[in-house]
Parts: sequence; C-alpha cells; structure tokens
Amino acid sequence: MNRKILNIVVNGESHQVLIEPHWTLLQVLRNEIGMMGTKENCLEAECGVCTVLLDGKAVNSCILLAGQVEGCSITTIEGIGDPEHLHPLQQTFIECGAVQCGYCIPGMILTAKSFLDENPGSRPSRDEIREAIAGTLCRCTGYSKIIDAVATAAERMAISGGSQ
Amino acid sequence: MSFDFHRPATVTEAVDLAQRLFPTARFIAGGSDIVIQINRKKIDPSHLIDVACLPGLSGIAETSDEFTLGALTKYHTIETHPAFAGSLRALIEAASVIGGRQVQNIATIGGNIVNASPAADFVPVLLALDAVLDITGPNGSRSVPLQDFIVGPGKTSLLPVEIVTSIRLAKLPARSATAFVKEGRRRAMEISVVCVAACLTLEAGGSRCASVRLAIGAAAPKVFRAKAAEAYLEGQLADQTSFAEAGKLAAEECAPISDVRASADYRRRLVSIMVERALTACFERTGEERR
Amino acid sequence: MNAQNHSVAGRRLPRLDGVGKVTGKHVYAADFKLPGMLYGKVLRSPRAHALIKKIDTSRAASIHGVRGIITSADIPAIRYGTAVRDTTVFAVDRVLFVGHAIAAVAATSLEIAERALEAIEVEYENLPTLFDPEEALNSNIRIHPNWETYKALPIIARSGNIAGQARIRVGDVEAAFAKSYKVYEHRFTTALQHPGYTEPRVATADWDANGNVTVWCNTQLPFDTQNTLAEILDLPSARVRVTVPGIGGGFGGKLRIGVEHFAALLARKTARPIKVMSTSEEELTAALPRQASVVLVKTGVDKDGHLLARSGKIIVDCGAYAGSGPGTAAISLQVMAGPYKTGALELEGIAVYTNKVHSGSFRAPAGPMANFAMECQMDMIAKDLGLDPLEIRLRNVVKEGDPGPSGEIHKSVSIEECLRKAANAIGWHDRKPEPGRGKGIACSWWMTTGGSSGVYVKINPDGTATLVSGAVEIGTGAITGAAQILAEELSLDLTDVNATGVDTQAAPFDYGAQGSRTAFSVGNACLAAAAELRRQMFELAAKQLDAPIEGMSLQDKHVIAGNKSISIAELARISRLAGGGLIAHGTAISPAPPYDPTRVQNHPLPVWNTPSYHAHAVDLSVDQATGKVTINRYVVAQDVGYAINPTYIEGQIEGGVAQGIGQALSEEIVYQDGRVMNANLTDYKMPTAMDVPEIESIIVECRSAAGPYGAKGVGEPPCIEPPAAIGNAIAAATGCWPNSLPMTAEKIAAALRVQQS
Repeated sequence: MNRKILNIVVNGESHQVLIEPHWTLLQVLRNEIGMMGTKENCLEAECGVCTVLLDGKAVNSCILLAGQVEGCSITTIEGIGDPEHLHPLQQTFIECGAVQCGYCIPGMILTAKSFLDENPGSRPSRDEIREAIAGTLCRCTGYSKIIDAVATAAERMAISGGSQ
Repeated sequence: MSFDFHRPATVTEAVDLAQRLFPTARFIAGGSDIVIQINRKKIDPSHLIDVACLPGLSGIAETSDEFTLGALTKYHTIETHPAFAGSLRALIEAASVIGGRQVQNIATIGGNIVNASPAADFVPVLLALDAVLDITGPNGSRSVPLQDFIVGPGKTSLLPVEIVTSIRLAKLPARSATAFVKEGRRRAMEISVVCVAACLTLEAGGSRCASVRLAIGAAAPKVFRAKAAEAYLEGQLADQTSFAEAGKLAAEECAPISDVRASADYRRRLVSIMVERALTACFERTGEERR
Repeated sequence: MNAQNHSVAGRRLPRLDGVGKVTGKHVYAADFKLPGMLYGKVLRSPRAHALIKKIDTSRAASIHGVRGIITSADIPAIRYGTAVRDTTVFAVDRVLFVGHAIAAVAATSLEIAERALEAIEVEYENLPTLFDPEEALNSNIRIHPNWETYKALPIIARSGNIAGQARIRVGDVEAAFAKSYKVYEHRFTTALQHPGYTEPRVATADWDANGNVTVWCNTQLPFDTQNTLAEILDLPSARVRVTVPGIGGGFGGKLRIGVEHFAALLARKTARPIKVMSTSEEELTAALPRQASVVLVKTGVDKDGHLLARSGKIIVDCGAYAGSGPGTAAISLQVMAGPYKTGALELEGIAVYTNKVHSGSFRAPAGPMANFAMECQMDMIAKDLGLDPLEIRLRNVVKEGDPGPSGEIHKSVSIEECLRKAANAIGWHDRKPEPGRGKGIACSWWMTTGGSSGVYVKINPDGTATLVSGAVEIGTGAITGAAQILAEELSLDLTDVNATGVDTQAAPFDYGAQGSRTAFSVGNACLAAAAELRRQMFELAAKQLDAPIEGMSLQDKHVIAGNKSISIAELARISRLAGGGLIAHGTAISPAPPYDPTRVQNHPLPVWNTPSYHAHAVDLSVDQATGKVTINRYVVAQDVGYAINPTYIEGQIEGGVAQGIGQALSEEIVYQDGRVMNANLTDYKMPTAMDVPEIESIIVECRSAAGPYGAKGVGEPPCIEPPAAIGNAIAAATGCWPNSLPMTAEKIAAALRVQQS
C-alpha cells in the first residue's frame, strides 16, 4: 500500500498521520485523530454533518482527500469550545433549543461559524442565515431554532467584538 | 480504488506528470466532483494529480477590457467579489446556488467547466459571457472559446494532459446586464432542472436589443446557446412580447431528457418561462424604464 | 400538584444532553468502535424478483483481509417480523426486491469488504415482478408463495399478497349514502418517504467468552431489537445485550432491526467485533421508509355539509415483507374517520406485498397519507357546497363525550379550539381572492401509543438523582421532559437529574421511543418512582426527625416536617449506611379505553389511547407558470395536554412540519421497473433551511386524565396535516386539487395547464 505521511494541524495541534491516498479528511479526523465530533453520513457533500473548517472556511470533509489538505489547518467542533468554555454558538444552540438528536449539530455550528466569521460584528438577517446553512441538513428541528441560535450568537458576538 | 496522489509545484510539472502517467492519471482541483465519482466507482484512476495548490491559477484579475478568473477560483470568491455586483451579477447568482457554502468553499470554476455536466450552473453564465479558456499543455498554451470547448455530456476538447488555467470574460458595453435563473425542486442544494443565463445589451436609445446571449443548462446533452432566440431578439423592442417569443424559440431549440428530476416536457416549458424571466431581469437591471 | 406552581416541569429548560451534543462529545452509535474491529458489508440484490440459482463465495473468501462471509445457508432458518413473521436475514432461494440482502462479508477494511462483495458470484433466474399494489391485490404472482405457513399475530387477516386487512364499520353506510344530499368520491396517492435521520443505521457487535453478544446500535427499541436478535441468533434473550450509546434521529425508521443482525452474525462467524453501517444508497433502497399508498374516499353529506356516511379504502404498499404495513393500514382507518362525527363508516385498510423495499413506521404511520385524502376531500366538499372550509369542519368536529370510530368516548376534546386558533393566526377570515395565493387548513387527531414503561431512580449521596430508563432519547427531548417531571416531584433542579444511556442488561423494560409516548409514559413512570422515593424518604425522615409522616413534604431538596427539615442528600447518605440506599422502580401503563369490538375487525390497534387534537393552517403562493410553491406562513395549533417543556414541544412541531412539507412537496423514493432511481441525497429531496418557512406553534393545553400533569403525546402529530393543509392551500391558490404526493411544481404546472385549456 502506497502510504504517505500527512502533515496537518487539527485544532491547533500538529499531527503527522500515515495515510492511504484514497482516505478522506473525514476518515483521517475520525479514524486516525479521534475527532469523533465530525460526523459521517452521505459521503457526497449533500448533508453537511461532516463539516469542518479548513483554514477557517466551512468545507465538507467527506469529499476532500487527505492529500489535498497537506499542511492545512483544520478546526473541528472540539476545537471551538469545550463544556467549560462554550463558544457563543454552542451556548445559544443549547439555550434556543436548537439541538434535538444533535447529529447534524457539530457540522451546523461550524457552518454557522464560518459564515459569522466572514463578516465579524455583523447581524445577519434570518434569510441570510438560512442561505448560509442550507448546505447542512437537519431532519429534527425544521431549522427555526437553529436560526434563532445563530442570530442570537451573532448578536452576542457583535456586542463582544467580533469573531471568537 | 487505489491511486497515487501527486502534488506538482508548477503547471509545467503538472503537465509533465500527466504526460508521463498518461492515460491513468486524472487532475484533481477542488475534488468536489471527482472524489464522489471515485467513491461511486464511476472512475478508477491510478494517479491523481492535485492542481489545487498550483501558483497563479487562483483569484480574479481585472484590466480595462476584461476579467481573468483563475481556474482554481472558488465559487465563494466569485460570490463575494465586488466587481461582479453590477452588470455581471449572473456570475454571483450562479456561484451562490452551487451546492452549499461548504462546496462553494471547495469547488473551483475550472472544475465545473471541465466536468462539462449538462446541468452545470456556472457554465451557462460563462457561455452567455462568451468566455474564453486559457489552456496549458505539453505544447504550450492555447485559448479556446468555451462555446467550442464543451462538446457533449461530460466531454470537452481538453486533452488529458492539458490544464485549464484561466477563464477570460470581456467586459460588457454600457446598457448591459446579466441574469441567472434556476429551477429545482428545492431552493438550495439542487442540481438544476433547468437553468438559464442571459446577457442583454440594449441599443443606445435603450428600447431595442442590441445583442443578446442566452445559455441554457440541463435542457440538452450540453449547455447550449439559444441561437435562434438570440438572433430573433437582435434589433427587437426589448419588451415582454419579444422576451416571451424568445422563450418560445429557445424552447424549440432545446433537447431535454426525462429523468428522475423532471420530464422533458416540463423542462421545455421551463426553458420558455425562464428565458423570458431572465431577459426581463436583465432588462430591469439595465435601469431603463419599461415602456 | 397544581401545574401552575411547577418550578421545573412546564418550563423552558435546556436539555440534559445539550452540552455533549454541541461540543461533539456525545457518542453516537456511529462513533462507537472496539479494538480489532472488522467491518461488515452486505451484498444486495440487483434483481427485483428472481430465483437464486447459485451463490459462490469462494473467490471473495480468498481475498486478503476477508475474515468471514455468511449467507442464508450459514445461519438459523428463522422468520421474524412484528405483525407477520415473514422476514429472513438473507434472501432464501429467492430475492424479493432490489436491495434484498443476500450475503454479508467481514473484512479488515471497508474497501476490502466492498471488493469481496463484488467477487461474490450469484446466478439468478428472473421471476415475474409485481410493483403496483393495486395490481398485486388480484395478481396470480405470489411474492410469498408459502405465506400460509408463516406465523402472524392472530388478529391479522391475510390472504395471498395481502399481508393484513383491517376494517372499521359503524352503522349502515349504504343506507346513509342513499340518504345523502350529495356523495363525493375521490382517489389519492402518496409516495414512499425515507425517514431521513442524519445518522445512518449502524451496529457494532461483539461476543464474550460465555457466548453472550453485546450490540451497540442506534435502535429506537432496544428491547424489541434484543428479542428479534435472540430469535435470529437462536439464543435466549438474556444472552443478547443491546445498548444505545446515542442515536442520530429515528422518526420510526429505526424501530425494527436494521443492521444489528448482520453485525451479530458476522461477529459470531469471525469471533471478532464487527461494525456495520448503512450507506446512503442502502438507506434509500433497503431501509424502512413510509409506505406509498392509494387512498379511495367516498363521503356522503347533507346539504349543510354534515357528514352522513364515509367509506374509505387505503391500499398500503408494504413492499417485499409486511413490516409495519398491516399496522399502518389499520391505523389509517382512525385517521380517515378523523376528529369528526360521521353517521356511518365503512373503512378498510389493506397492506399488500410488492417487489419493493419493505417499509416501516415513519412518524405517525398512516397519518399523513389518510389525512391528505380525507382533509383534501373535506375542502372539495366545502367548495362544492359553497361552504367555508373552516365552517364545514366546525360543523362536524367531535365534542366532549362524542363516540369515536371504535365506539370509544372522546375526552378532553380540543379540536374546535385548535381549528379556531390556527385559523385566527393565519388570518383565515381576512383572506381574499388573489391569483396564485391561497390559504389552507387541515386538522386531525392522533393517539398516544400505550405500552409499559419502567424506570429505576436512585438518589445519590450528593442529593442528585440517577434516572435509568429503557427508553432511548432519540432527540425529541422526551427524557429531559421525564426528568423535569422527576425533578419537580422530588423538589430537585433539572440539572440534579442524571439520565443514563439505555442498556437492556441494566435498564427496566420500556416499550420504546415510538408512538409519541416517551415523555408521556416515562414521565408517568417517573411520577410513580418519585412517589415511592418520597415514601422511602418520609419513612426515614420520620425516624431521623422524630416526626410523623403525615403532613411531610418535599421542598427545595429537603423533607419538611413542621419546623424540622432534613436534606435529601443527608437521607441518601443515611440510607446508604443503613438501608441499602434510596432507590425506586416506577412503572406505568396506560390501559386502552373501553370500545365497541363489534365495530373493529382485524385491527392490531383497535382503539386509540389519550388522543390529541390539532389543526394546521398555511398561507402559500404558487408560481402560475412553473407551479412552484412558496410557503409564506405556517401555523400549528396542537393540543399537548400539558406542555412539559414548551421549547422542545415547539421543536417537535417545527421539525414535524418540515418533514410534512418534504412529503407534501419534494420527497419521494422513485421506483422504475423495480429499481430506485434516486438512491442518494442529491436526488432524494429533503427540505433545506431555504425550504422550510417560519412555523408558528400555538400550544393548546387541554389536560388528559392519563398523562403526567395531563400531558398528551406530542411527537408524531406535527407531520400529519402538512400535505393536506398545503394541498388545500394550493387548491385555494390555483383552483386545482393535487391528488398525488409529492405535489411537485411539475404536477401543479400540469394541473394548471389542464385547467387553462
């Protein structure tokens, strides 16, 4: 097997991982680095549960080959907050009742974070939020409370001075 | 599914590599399409040559008479580019409905072009703007109008050892506008049932069409220009009647299929409706008062 | 306890598992892994109906990394199933649908397992196929030639391709039709709909040294899965342990065994832990979707629009195995009767086999199908009689004490209130004719499924409570709701309750996370456990405080006796030292109400427990040229009895409506010649955030007698009315009645064209 070393930074920590060329970033994160908060479903960039931030931008980790992210910096849900220090989005997702089964939520939060970080300090409209998160499917919530959560987090982040 | 992954440092290296590994190598840019094709076992390359990091192939440059889009430019870059908010708005309109944000951050415009999907959303806009592709291969560079580049469903005139490096768009004359409209079952994450890009330039008086370019996706084996409709409109009064007539002509020109997304009959009807709507949007955008 | 005084129940508190879910720490079944684990894959039939002439696994077995292959020849010859025991793990001698499991492979990687599947050689001989359920009713082709030898629930009536046939008869329907001022007859069709949970079905299985198997999976019904696995593995059920680490949605699609059996059988074969996870393609070709159906409704009315007679027939396409088909066909009868008084009823539900994927119990099984037909017809009748659609409903809805279709008595009835509130909120009375825009309304009723629940509740020495339930938290917040009830009863904070995951070895039995029953039934079990804990604590406090039990109360985590008090934590510590700790087993069962068995035939759910009532209203626009629907506003008024946690009730309503909008407008598994044409999430169209409008929830609280604090079931109803409400609004906007789900833009455009010509 033609294995190769992948150099990758995940949540600020650098990793060297022995990969097979066909592995996706999703496989590397889940199987090699143990970032299980990055979820797996359709594997065709249709559902968004595998969303991570690649150099700060939301991407579907299921369709990126590991080799394509050599030297890149990845942020997963584990990298934006922890139970003692929740990111504002994590906080508002809980407060607004935006979480049901929760399987889409890591991807949804990262999709939203990428969007909010693009325009620090902005207060996007509900329609703008809808458009920004449309690439991540949620089957439980009907999205309303997710939009509440993103709008509330944006408001708080705007007050506290932009990106977190 | 087993391949070697190569990361050349320059376009020349990439082309050399492709030549050496021909015919078992494929280029990969964003990968949003090719990775799915590999996983679905539709293709089985032995070598993937990653061109995504090649220098100079990304970004948008502007001169007095044209825009040059690097082939690796991502949709999200186009969507947020201020220069496209005016008469080239169709570029933004198409870029913003391709997959979700996550795909828009991965997929490249060059990739969308070389895939030559009949339902590609960005291709009709480029076609309506008479885009020209710059291509580099073992024998140097060449330029090809997009119109001649796509030859069939999934088929282009690109050689397996060639790379599309940039896409050039001439700036539009005054009194011009573009529009992109798309229909699908949902409002996002859709492969178009039909999509239409229109580019309209009005005569100096502002009431007649000087030139019209209409490109239609998902209604024929390849994205096509509705030439009869275009020809009809030239010199016509720019009004609802002529736009509706152009829609009818375009519907006669298309050759849609029936599939799980829609019937051929519905697609044909959509072409007629959407051509009219795209032209109307262009007309409104030219800023002229409707008579 | 007076609900007004509640400090935990009834409040919008954050769910207990929220932090774990937003930080990525919550472990789902898909995340579960074991050292040395192998990966299992399933070979599935490319043919819709064929004899298997030969299966040759030798080439596959020789592939490096393949550790085991099993087919029907390697496993006990067992047929299982809920209503009809017609199902096998693998196709036996014949494949019955494209996607039918034929063999399973265990290998050291998924890629190797996939390669091994390609190397298994199967020879087929095609058999004649049956895809149309109406054709299957009378066809000579038999999908199960030996159907008579299968065991089934005694109540199920079967014959030939009919897997179940139920009836409700009230009065003399023919006489009532004869008396009617007008009689209306319509036909509707609905499509196969995937539950669409975001976590695919997944299971990891491992056998221990004593021959016991543990399966970590995402089932909604761990105890049912345990029993089914025991049958398939031919083991006593105590030797099968099912545990659910976490589950990414279910919606009824994960009630019955999915991939657990493949994992357990491969693990037994290879003596290694095995993980099996469905792909999207398998989900859309071989999971348990909502059945497609054909619904025929005939209704007779007097000239004021009063319902005099209704006959109805629903044909439920249950696919290659009965699955939930017989139950679904039967439940549709109550839905077709609706929350209406009808002079005479003759309703028939038929579940029929076809060569397609067998189907399951997607949220409110039968609900949206039968309601779509019945409620669209209500509007057609109203239009024909020149009546307002709201008015015709108000003239016919049941009132307190009216008999239901099975002869049961409607109690705590709120349908009129729901209809009026939904109508007012959508601006029903302000609507004016506007081309391409319309408002629609629809209503229904639905059961709170019965079945028993047990919980263990333990008071810890720090004064907190541990809640052990056999009910899975599938995302609804039901376990948080039950914990709110427990906390309320014990004067604790919600955060003092720690709810464990489900493990059949450790948890008391629960009928499972299904049928809108979890918060209701587990909540009742928590009430019982809390009563028992109060008894234990008061007894102990009486000794400690030297005070009489009479007049004792729990307040702010203390037992209060007059001016004396002792903390719950202290009592727990004392009990640990002297009494084995404070622990209670609370149980609940809500018995079915009395009904008239002569009205109901061959019906596994002959009468509904604690029904809820609800109405939906929608304002939408239709593009007159393309047929595209844009929902402007959507309102739901739903009677929940008592709102245990309004936030998560709204969440159920918003999510259910979104699924209903999907069923109404975009979702369908499309078959052509027995093959699924859209077995991926590109072409299976679930609503995105751009497709779901803002949904306004009006929570109506008309207390039930049986639910905790008067609660009624909440989870399923929200997806029942959307197709009908949207259909009626489309008709109001266009004058055309769509009679087929999904109501795609293409279908609406076609109807508009017919109308124009």
